[in-house]
Amino acid sequence: MGIKERSTQRRRGVAFAAAALSLALIAGACSSDSDTEPVGTTGASTDDTTTVTEVAATPVDGGTLRYGLEADVDGLNPTTSAFSAPGYVMGHAVFDTLARVAEDGSIVPYLAESFTPSADFKSWTVKLRPGIKFHDGADLNADAVVKAFLLQQGAALVGLAVRPFYPETDAAVKIDDLTVQFNQLDANQYWPSALTSQLGMMPSPLWLDAAAADPTLNQKPVGTGPFMFDSRTADNVTRFVKNPSYWNGSVHLDAVEFYPVPDSADLLDLFNNDGLDALHTTDQTAIKDLKDNGTVTNLLDDTAEESFQMINSQNPPFDDVRVRQALAYATPKAKILELIGLGVSRPADQMFTPESPFFNPAVKQDADEPDKALPLVAAYCAEKGTTINPLLNKPTCTDGKVNMEYQFVGPSVVGLRTTEIFEEGWSVAFNITRDEVNQQDHIQQNALGQSNVIGWRQFGAIDPWADSVWLLCRTVGPISLNWPRYCDPARDTLLLDAQNTDDPAKRSENYKALAQNMHDAYTYIFINHTLWTNSFNENVRGTCDIKTLEGVALKCSNAGLTFLDTTWLDQ
Amino acid sequence: MSTQTPTTTEAAAPEPGEAATKKTLGIGFWVCIGWLLVMVFVAVFATRLPIPDPKFNFIEPGQAGPSKGPSTAHWFGTDKDARDVFARTMYGARVSLTVGFIAIVFGMFVGGTLGILAGFFRGWIDRIFSFMFLVLLSFPSLVLAIMLTALLDRKLFTISMILGVLAVAPVGRLARATTMQYAEREFVIAARSLGAKNKRIIVRELLPNVAIPMSALALLGMAVAIVAEGGLAFLGLSVERSITWGGMIQLGSDSSKTLQNQPWIAFFPIGVLFLTVFALNFAGDRVRTYFDVKETSL
Amino acid sequence: MAITLLFAVSALTFGAMNVLGDPLFNILGPIARDTSNPKSVKLIEKAKNDYNLDKPLPIRYGLWISGFVRGDMGVQFSTDGQPPVTELLKERIPRTVTLLILGQLIAVLVSIPWALLSASRADKFVDRLSTATTFMLVALPGFALAIILKYLFAIRLGWFPLTYRALDPLQTRLFQMLLPGFVIGLPAAAIYQRLLRTDLITTLQEDFILMARSKGVSKPRILFKHALRPSMFSFITVVGLTTGALIGGSIVVETVFRIPGIGSTLVEAVLRHDFPVVLAIVMIVATAFVLINLLIDVVYTIIDPRVHR
Repeated sequence: MGIKERSTQRRRGVAFAAAALSLALIAGACSSDSDTEPVGTTGASTDDTTTVTEVAATPVDGGTLRYGLEADVDGLNPTTSAFSAPGYVMGHAVFDTLARVAEDGSIVPYLAESFTPSADFKSWTVKLRPGIKFHDGADLNADAVVKAFLLQQGAALVGLAVRPFYPETDAAVKIDDLTVQFNQLDANQYWPSALTSQLGMMPSPLWLDAAAADPTLNQKPVGTGPFMFDSRTADNVTRFVKNPSYWNGSVHLDAVEFYPVPDSADLLDLFNNDGLDALHTTDQTAIKDLKDNGTVTNLLDDTAEESFQMINSQNPPFDDVRVRQALAYATPKAKILELIGLGVSRPADQMFTPESPFFNPAVKQDADEPDKALPLVAAYCAEKGTTINPLLNKPTCTDGKVNMEYQFVGPSVVGLRTTEIFEEGWSVAFNITRDEVNQQDHIQQNALGQSNVIGWRQFGAIDPWADSVWLLCRTVGPISLNWPRYCDPARDTLLLDAQNTDDPAKRSENYKALAQNMHDAYTYIFINHTLWTNSFNENVRGTCDIKTLEGVALKCSNAGLTFLDTTWLDQ
Repeated sequence: MSTQTPTTTEAAAPEPGEAATKKTLGIGFWVCIGWLLVMVFVAVFATRLPIPDPKFNFIEPGQAGPSKGPSTAHWFGTDKDARDVFARTMYGARVSLTVGFIAIVFGMFVGGTLGILAGFFRGWIDRIFSFMFLVLLSFPSLVLAIMLTALLDRKLFTISMILGVLAVAPVGRLARATTMQYAEREFVIAARSLGAKNKRIIVRELLPNVAIPMSALALLGMAVAIVAEGGLAFLGLSVERSITWGGMIQLGSDSSKTLQNQPWIAFFPIGVLFLTVFALNFAGDRVRTYFDVKETSL
Repeated sequence: MAITLLFAVSALTFGAMNVLGDPLFNILGPIARDTSNPKSVKLIEKAKNDYNLDKPLPIRYGLWISGFVRGDMGVQFSTDGQPPVTELLKERIPRTVTLLILGQLIAVLVSIPWALLSASRADKFVDRLSTATTFMLVALPGFALAIILKYLFAIRLGWFPLTYRALDPLQTRLFQMLLPGFVIGLPAAAIYQRLLRTDLITTLQEDFILMARSKGVSKPRILFKHALRPSMFSFITVVGLTTGALIGGSIVVETVFRIPGIGSTLVEAVLRHDFPVVLAIVMIVATAFVLINLLIDVVYTIIDPRVHR
């Protein structure tokens, strides 16, 4: 349901909100499209951050930064816990990634020193910077990298997003003490973007071993990052302290504290009344307020996640494209954007924003035309109306309307409101059975294909190749990350060809064709581009001053994620 | 040792303040009954009354924000989805009253039967039933209700039954105590000496006497059930696909911002819920005073 | 008796949780159904072993209860290394207990003077007004009162903070709990006031009071020294009994004010079908309930030697 899915309960469950999309993030979605031009004045652009840098004061050491997050996380081990946006914010405090996204959108080495592809682009050799140590004193070396990678690949849940792209054995091989070779199943010229995500986060091998024996250590991460774990009270606060010997420059803050505050109004209230120094949110009302507040620095981004309704095409009646198309036509998209979106976020027609070189202007999401849904449903019901919908265990049609289940996450006020609005629109041609489940069951049942239609957020990977994890035939299975369970070999060809060409025109052409292909399959009904903000009070400086050792300026915010390496407080 | 605690003993003597109004129910009682009748009427005939469609989104193009304050068109204002709060409050009476009614009928029937049997036969029947009541009373009611809703479904009937189960123990204990009290009375002993069967004694002699204190409890119990349903709805755990007062209050208070800027969304349903519960409590209390029911073993 | 009762409560809860849900699925998620993948199978085996799922229900119950009485409440249903249930509750219980004590304190401190005032002016305007107020407080559901107080004192007047923060110093946290304490305490105060008032009015008409009064003992002195004392029996009883109801009330209050206590934890755990946590909380609450009742019995016997039970 897209736009904002949040429970009023203050519970860890909410964190899963994002565990759904966290899977998206695994595949490398913590940033916007790397090739986007600077975004325009659409209201979705990254605010001018020069307010931070122009002051050009000398950073002051000391102070504790209090950061408000939209939810808490389940665990902080990148090899076992699927990271959501809050997980990424906390994770980046304690872990560094092998690669990062530069200000210009290119992928640059971070913990790594260099990446070198093989001639066929199926293997990449990653060379590490020497002399980097984990917080527990262990060395960052090839063994540590191989260990972390193989653990993630093998992890039951997190590995789901990794396994489709790597061979079962020898996916990561130690070449020498500081060199690792990664082997893939497909040729990929854009692979290093994978190392900017959870997959590229480097946890301490000693800690990984200890956590395997004592799972409670998954709550107490050990990495190479600018901050070291200090303490954690689930659902209330997680605290990290300065890493005095950070390898990439000195850290200014004494400590950072992360507060999960699921009620965005409370979050905003704390922020405005000096209870928090920074926050991230997707709440439309809060973003409106933050944009109107002249003293706040807002890092806005709507390129990294789409909200949509998703249809499982495996079972009747939705195995028939006419029914899927009818659902799209009957979708009250305008009403949802007005009531839930409050006009803050941009409507979406496809997985790319208009600024993206891959955006296909010809693709328009069908919606708000209920009249067109009726003949499609009538035709289907006349033909196959007595087939059984296995999920509901009743015929696909009753009284000329298609029977379907709509699953949503509850209890959640926004979830319920959204459901009611969709249901009212769809009810012209559909009888809807509601299935309200908790976030965990929601993701799980969906992964197992036990749903008809659900609301979802994903896509917007740093490089679109990483989104293929949701789209390829090979990710259809008993547990599917291709949630709609829709396999089209032509689509696979488009995707795999696009990641194996260095010709921008050819790439663009392929991804445009992909957008059309996705539209025609009617498995996704795109609603809007999820708008994220990371906002900082005026005493917070330096967030966007991060550079690599070579001096390359790095992009400082993406999809609710910021880095605090160079942040300081002007007291 | 015993977990059977000394029981609540309020108002053994008639309250001095009420001595003057002895044996009349008083105008307050009839006002409360009047309010309750209005709510019942609204609940029954909601679809036929000239009130707006509670599910319609009154979106006015070009207006900032869908939620509007009270006006002549929308007496209680509109909620975040631009739906009429007044109409929704009226429709909300349906679930609350239905749940309250079914719950208390179930509680009365099951609790009353078990209580009378326990009080009449004593012995092992009493011990088993009393133990059952104790087990039920060992859970704070909301804890039990939440647990059961999570394990079962959230249809109107299920929720009513769950809340009915909560009423079983208090009703049962009252019925048991009252039965024991009357079982020793002359008319029962007389009936028995005349050779009346147990069944006859229970139905003809005991039931009418036990029914009076229970009727007072019924109104109070209905209030408790309505509050409990509201609490469940507020946590998002009450009847699915229905407009409920608790659900409306949850919608209006899900963030402090909403509460601050659109207080009418939460406060009108709170007001109506409050008045209804107040009316039930007050009427129940009057009935209790009227029949001079002692609150022993409630 | 109490022990039998707790056994029955625990067996019922344990049974309901295990029969009506699928623990394995709740622990592992989709992996629980992914029996074709050897890695998943290994995890399934491990989970079955860790949570004793391969054993029959009565044995599982036996294992669980024997752990429980030794203070080991099991492991949370999670593969992310959430702390053991005991650890979790050790952290959460003090907050709820603080909240309940605060609530009771407020209730007692408010109700005694209130009842004295009412009783000394029985049937006057003040008394009638306060009777009406008690009726209203009792009729107001906890969540409604929570919202009203939050709206008035936290949002409109800004006297109290909106949320609770575990890292703040002790006195700040106590202050953050004050408003929630009132939400819990005020309806209880109304109940106590009604009880005390009735009791006091009766006592005030008794001979020894009339005697004291005729001897010229001042009114406040009579009220405090002589009248209040006999009422203490029933008062203590009701305070004890109300504690149970307050535990239920704390669920809603903790949710509204975001206090990570056992009430809000219970709701979360129920929604996540995290049975070990639900079981532990239900058992702790039930045990507390039974113990409080036992304690009332004892106190009652001490205060009033006439009670021989």
